[in-house]
Amino acid sequence: MSGAAAYHPVYTGDDGALLDVAETVATEWAALGVRGSFLARNLGTGEQLGFGIDVPTPLASVVKVPLALVVLDLIAAGELDPALPVTVDPGTSSVGPTGLAAFRYPATVAVADLLQLMLSVSDNAAADALLDLVPVADVEARLRAWGCDGIRMRHRMNHLYECAAGAAGNDFSLALELAVRDERAGRHTIGTLDPAQANTGTAAALVDLLRRVWCDEIASPPATAELRRLMGLQVFTQRLSSELRADTLRWFGKTGTFLHLRHEIGVLEADSGDRVAMAALTRADRIAGVAADIDLAIGVAGREAFEALRCR
Amino acid sequence: MDLLAHLEAYVATADEASFSRAADRLGIAQPLLSRRIKTLEEHFGGSLFDRSRRQITTTELGLLLLPYARDVLDRTQRLRRAARSARRSRVRAVGVPADCAPAALARAIRAGTERGITLGMRELPPAERTSGLADGSLQYALVRTAPEQGALRVPLGLASAPGQDGTGTGRPGTGRPGTAGRPLHLEELRPRRGRGAATAAPPPLLLLTEDELPSVEDRLLRSAARAGLPRGRIRPAGPAATALAETLAGSALLLCAEPFARRHGAHWRPLADRALHRGYDVRAAQVRTDASGVPGWLAALLASAVGAVADGHDGHGGPGGYGGPGGYGGQDGDGRPESATGGQDVPARLAARG
Repeated sequence: MSGAAAYHPVYTGDDGALLDVAETVATEWAALGVRGSFLARNLGTGEQLGFGIDVPTPLASVVKVPLALVVLDLIAAGELDPALPVTVDPGTSSVGPTGLAAFRYPATVAVADLLQLMLSVSDNAAADALLDLVPVADVEARLRAWGCDGIRMRHRMNHLYECAAGAAGNDFSLALELAVRDERAGRHTIGTLDPAQANTGTAAALVDLLRRVWCDEIASPPATAELRRLMGLQVFTQRLSSELRADTLRWFGKTGTFLHLRHEIGVLEADSGDRVAMAALTRADRIAGVAADIDLAIGVAGREAFEALRCR
Repeated sequence: MDLLAHLEAYVATADEASFSRAADRLGIAQPLLSRRIKTLEEHFGGSLFDRSRRQITTTELGLLLLPYARDVLDRTQRLRRAARSARRSRVRAVGVPADCAPAALARAIRAGTERGITLGMRELPPAERTSGLADGSLQYALVRTAPEQGALRVPLGLASAPGQDGTGTGRPGTGRPGTAGRPLHLEELRPRRGRGAATAAPPPLLLLTEDELPSVEDRLLRSAARAGLPRGRIRPAGPAATALAETLAGSALLLCAEPFARRHGAHWRPLADRALHRGYDVRAAQVRTDASGVPGWLAALLASAVGAVADGHDGHGGPGGYGGPGGYGGQDGDGRPESATGGQDVPARLAARG
């Protein structure tokens, strides 16, 4: 396809060898029909590699990380009670395949546990229940106050479903087809895929957010510590961490998946003391809900970047 | 009766013609000297000295026996000298690991010769070096210890074919400039999936006899398991030459020290985890009365022969370090403890998981 041949992302890398790794990743992704952003940074040395790091991309569930940080900051400040019970009713709650979003009967869950469900199994109903307590506008205002340029919070999680269903009825394949077609054409039938309307972020902004969370340079230490702990509980391992799974390595991540979008951000901590923050934001040119080869290519990128950046 | 001591008293008194001067010469008290003469006279059944005058004189019996007494003392002295020189010329066996640097061993042998000591180098597996010290067949030995406990540390690393580093990237030291000898983390040896994934089985890690100690193997196997490597990838190397041949051919990775790999033209990267390196102490046999400890010159030369590095046993991660052994991980520069997988997760980890 002519589009693939004309694909020239902007590369980032602190030396020639790191640029080589970035280029290898972009080439491997392009071979699978994947475009997007990738950034990995060693939190100890600051060395980094990647490409397309300033392209705003719809975040899907990755936005649950900044959302969690805002909620945890309110809890740490005493403005929100982590034990506050919240009842989630399937009749009115947000759509999703996991957690409370998949429940068939009403359940009452404390705020702290909503956070855990939101980050461990990417529970959309838990996320929107938190957004009932801390409105989208408040989250956005806090991100602006923190100087998180490049990350925008504009809508609830269920808005992703509403837009897709609105454009394609309840037909997932059609929605996917629309998304892929729009990607080629450069317009947006589904509003939550339009960077101007969606919750968006850039790889650079997300890695910087992770750096600030890991170095306690944002919100407050109790909030960042709890966010790190919760990100370590994620159950999905098919993406960035798929090639970095060993007892000597610990992954703290959050995936994001919506139609043709396959994302993940996170930090890898090694027993050796190396810590590398990463963000992979991808858009596939493929009408497929499951693409194991793309998930694996993201995992290979994570491993290659980590091994190139680790220093001890 | 100590006949020799008594004969010494007798001969000295005859020479000096004075009890006090004889006692001085022998460095003993005069009453003791007198008592010995008296005992000897009782033993021989007659006086050896005439004490009736101011100046003592030797009796006829005393003069008669004197040459025999001198003869006994002379022979005793020769016996002692012969024993001493025999002791000096005896070869002192030194137990060393296989593949020590020959030039450094030669320096140790020459240094011994200069000191009147003959050293004999014995290349032995680690267990036999320890038992050799215990049963007295070795005078000195390089004994394996845990690297954090031993006085000497020899970096252990992975030898691979020239131009490869065994991690399957096809880029030694991941190809970054100036990182060719970069420490290797065991998890980098996990097979790669995706693009360029190897079709052949991942190369085995070969363990030389020097590292086939239960305690050493145990530690390595634990670390390898934690790094995601299957048990079957770590195998005994068998004879070093064939193991090296397989390594140079690219079908195996050999765990060895850097000088050994370099000598044979193999690529080599140290293991990042210093807890997996070789630790040594230079020890002496306990039973010998003349060997209290190891002479400093010998310890230094054996350290250089085995390829020990200078830093001693600061096992984990000082400046320029390779990072700590598994248990020390998770601490970062500013001392923040690891942020997750902490105590509260332990019960959950033991529960059944989907």
